[in-house]
Amino acid sequence: MNQIFRRYARLFSVQLRTSFTLAVQYRFDFFIEGLLALLWLGITLVPLMVVFARRATVAGWSYPEALVVVGLFSVLKAVLDGAITPSLNHVVDGIRKGTLDFILLKPADAQFLVSTARFDPWRILDLFGSIAIVLYALRRLHHVPSVLEALSGCALFSVAILLIYSLWILVVSLSFRVVKVDNLSYLFMSIFDAGRWPIHVFKGALRVLFTVVFPLALMTTYPAQALLGHLSLAHALLAGAGGLLFAGCARWIWQRSLHAYTSASS
Amino acid sequence: MRRMWASRALSGVRRLLRAYPSLLRVGLADMLAYRAEFLVWILSMNMPLVMMALWTAVAADGPMGRFGQREFVAYYLGMLIVRILTGSWLVWELTMEIRRGTLAIRLLRPIHPLWAFSAMQLAAVPMRALVISPLVVVLYWVAGARLPMHDPERLAIVFASIAGAWLLLFLVMAIVGMLAAYIESALSVFDLWLGAQAILSGFLVPLELMPAWVARLARVLPFRYILGFPVETLIGLESKTVALRELGIQWLFVATALAMTLLLWRKALRRFAAFGG
Amino acid sequence: MIHVSSLSKIYRVHRRPPGVWAAVRSLVHRNYENVHALAEVSFHIEPGERVGFLGPNGAGKTTALKILSGLLYPTSGKVTVGGFVPHERRVEFLRTITLVMGQKQQLMWDLPPSETFAMNRALFDLPKREADAVQNELVELLQVGPLLGKPSRQLSLGERMKCELVAALLHRPKVLFLDEPTIGLDVSMQAQLRDFIRRHNEATGATILLTSHYMADVAALCPRVVVIDKGHLIYDGDLKTLARRIRPEKRITLHFASVPAPGSLDRLGNCVARSDSQATLSVPAAQVTDAVRAALEQLPIADISVEDPPLEEIMREFLGGERPDSGGKTPT
Repeated sequence: MNQIFRRYARLFSVQLRTSFTLAVQYRFDFFIEGLLALLWLGITLVPLMVVFARRATVAGWSYPEALVVVGLFSVLKAVLDGAITPSLNHVVDGIRKGTLDFILLKPADAQFLVSTARFDPWRILDLFGSIAIVLYALRRLHHVPSVLEALSGCALFSVAILLIYSLWILVVSLSFRVVKVDNLSYLFMSIFDAGRWPIHVFKGALRVLFTVVFPLALMTTYPAQALLGHLSLAHALLAGAGGLLFAGCARWIWQRSLHAYTSASS
Repeated sequence: MRRMWASRALSGVRRLLRAYPSLLRVGLADMLAYRAEFLVWILSMNMPLVMMALWTAVAADGPMGRFGQREFVAYYLGMLIVRILTGSWLVWELTMEIRRGTLAIRLLRPIHPLWAFSAMQLAAVPMRALVISPLVVVLYWVAGARLPMHDPERLAIVFASIAGAWLLLFLVMAIVGMLAAYIESALSVFDLWLGAQAILSGFLVPLELMPAWVARLARVLPFRYILGFPVETLIGLESKTVALRELGIQWLFVATALAMTLLLWRKALRRFAAFGG
Repeated sequence: MIHVSSLSKIYRVHRRPPGVWAAVRSLVHRNYENVHALAEVSFHIEPGERVGFLGPNGAGKTTALKILSGLLYPTSGKVTVGGFVPHERRVEFLRTITLVMGQKQQLMWDLPPSETFAMNRALFDLPKREADAVQNELVELLQVGPLLGKPSRQLSLGERMKCELVAALLHRPKVLFLDEPTIGLDVSMQAQLRDFIRRHNEATGATILLTSHYMADVAALCPRVVVIDKGHLIYDGDLKTLARRIRPEKRITLHFASVPAPGSLDRLGNCVARSDSQATLSVPAAQVTDAVRAALEQLPIADISVEDPPLEEIMREFLGGERPDSGGKTPT
């Protein structure tokens, strides 16, 4: 067991090194993208500021509370854009070109290799920016999360990362069969964007959709509520369990898709 | 000498008129072949719906300015309709062709490459219109009284504003896309444009609700005339005289963009031909 | 080493006729067709052998290689490589084999080959000293030392192929699957690669399976060939025997000192090519000596050479016509 862990740790560091080498080589492009991400972060705060300039609460959320949600969303987005999306885009490209075969010929777990293929280290810029927003919001509320709140907030946030990762794995598994997935990733990101706002903004059918089918609520609102102390423990545990179950399903579907995979013709 | 130039121009126009219908047909066939991807692309333009949810939640406690819940719904439905109708993907196609070098092939043809590109994008309009028709029905149901259904002049202004928006966006994409011949990250420039557009066109927040200086700034910048202006005329937020005046401003922007496009393309194509793909 | 019995691979393909109406209809009702990529193929390969897979495009050669390397699941039949079942993709199995594809590459595009080598070293868990030794040896044999620092995209096709081979052989696999490795390369590079592959096989005893469209590759490298056409194995054996069976005649090329008398050639045999300065005759093998003697006596010969008919022609005929076991093909 220890040897397996050491082996995969070594693999991970090699993969990281590749991404860093590429990031240094194309540093100009990546840097610009990092700056743009920061810019977009600012832009999406504009509606929030306009709304809360005239209103004290919206759907039961005050300005700093909503800011926590936006901040957590942006942290998630930074993790997504920095650690998850680059790898999975790389894989989809490899599926299209047929070079995924080479990954399958290596004696290591395909899902691990595929998920660690590429990183975008410049996203650390908007990661810090987003964390700053969360901290600022908490300060404005004069709310320092208790240990339990902080722990459940972080745990739920980890579940959020796991969830978004699993969703991406599902998209990639789909691309084994339907090779043109580029637009699907756009669709994915556009739905994901709705997670910027507290889930209570959405009413009725939409809220159900975003809680169960595409679990946005789980990803941003619940961790925010946990941090703010508004989430009951039962609720949090349920959410956590649901997330883990989802991840397990995604892994199963990945295995099945790999099994049915037919590589592009030579 | 002048007669030769005139007859050459005339034959060029004739060639274009003959070629354009088949270019459109090719674009339509392409569209049908990629209809699944196209549909997914359209479905991913759902940000206005999210904003609608947000703003109606805000207006639940009372209207903001002129906007009550109904007005927000109408506004963002209109925004969605205009966004889908006037959208195009020229900038991605152009940057890809420049990077791959296949733009050179288009230079071998006797008509300006922009005509072929425009045909491709125009051929998508019927499909887009099909997708938005249910939205138009919903819009009528929500805000029927405000829509210019029975006023032919207003209707004409609406159509003209949508056409102008389509053209303006197309030309902006043509300019930014062509930058890929000069710089590596033309798409980042377009991202910047989109960022400014998000705020200054009324996309994220209706311009009326922004601080006064922002609204004033937006009136003299082109972003508003791509999205906000057509939407506002569609749902009747302005008087006819104001709308007419702003239509003029929009088409002024179109004319300027056209001039810039032609100038930039002439320079860039010469450089492109010199250095190869 | 490699044992294949009754291997079949069937794809279910959905064929859609063109047109909008057919596209709509296909949403509710789909016509599926069974494409037999491989049909009941059986063969056995001993360790250390060099075997060539021949066949037209779409015959199933690449499918066979992919099944042998575990990338595809067979529909039916039994396959073992080195005692392992390929599609189980066990770690020990993956360490035993390597696959090189001429039309795709595992080298990372934007980075120098040395980075791909480092990656493979980590992936195969190779101890540093050993891996360095193997890498240096391969780099020297293939003479790619100065290329290791350049990004792969800046290398020429031949240089990239050589670096591919280094990356593929770092873990000292016992079985090499080579799928059209020389495609698109110039003649001298092809010869270099062929030399390297043969010497590698002789030095390490690795089993080599090669598919190629270039008959020169197969003729130079593979004493044994397996011919696959439309998924069926139609020949397994010696290349020379096959050639002689299809075209049991030899080619005699005559270079003339002066223009021969008209009609004088046709008496000697079937003339397949002719110009003022030379002619090529196709003559049954048994009659070659007589034909040569007659030519030397009757015609103004400056130079003469006797060869087998070009392999390309033989294969074209073989694959375009009937199978040899169904009565044999008589040359026209």
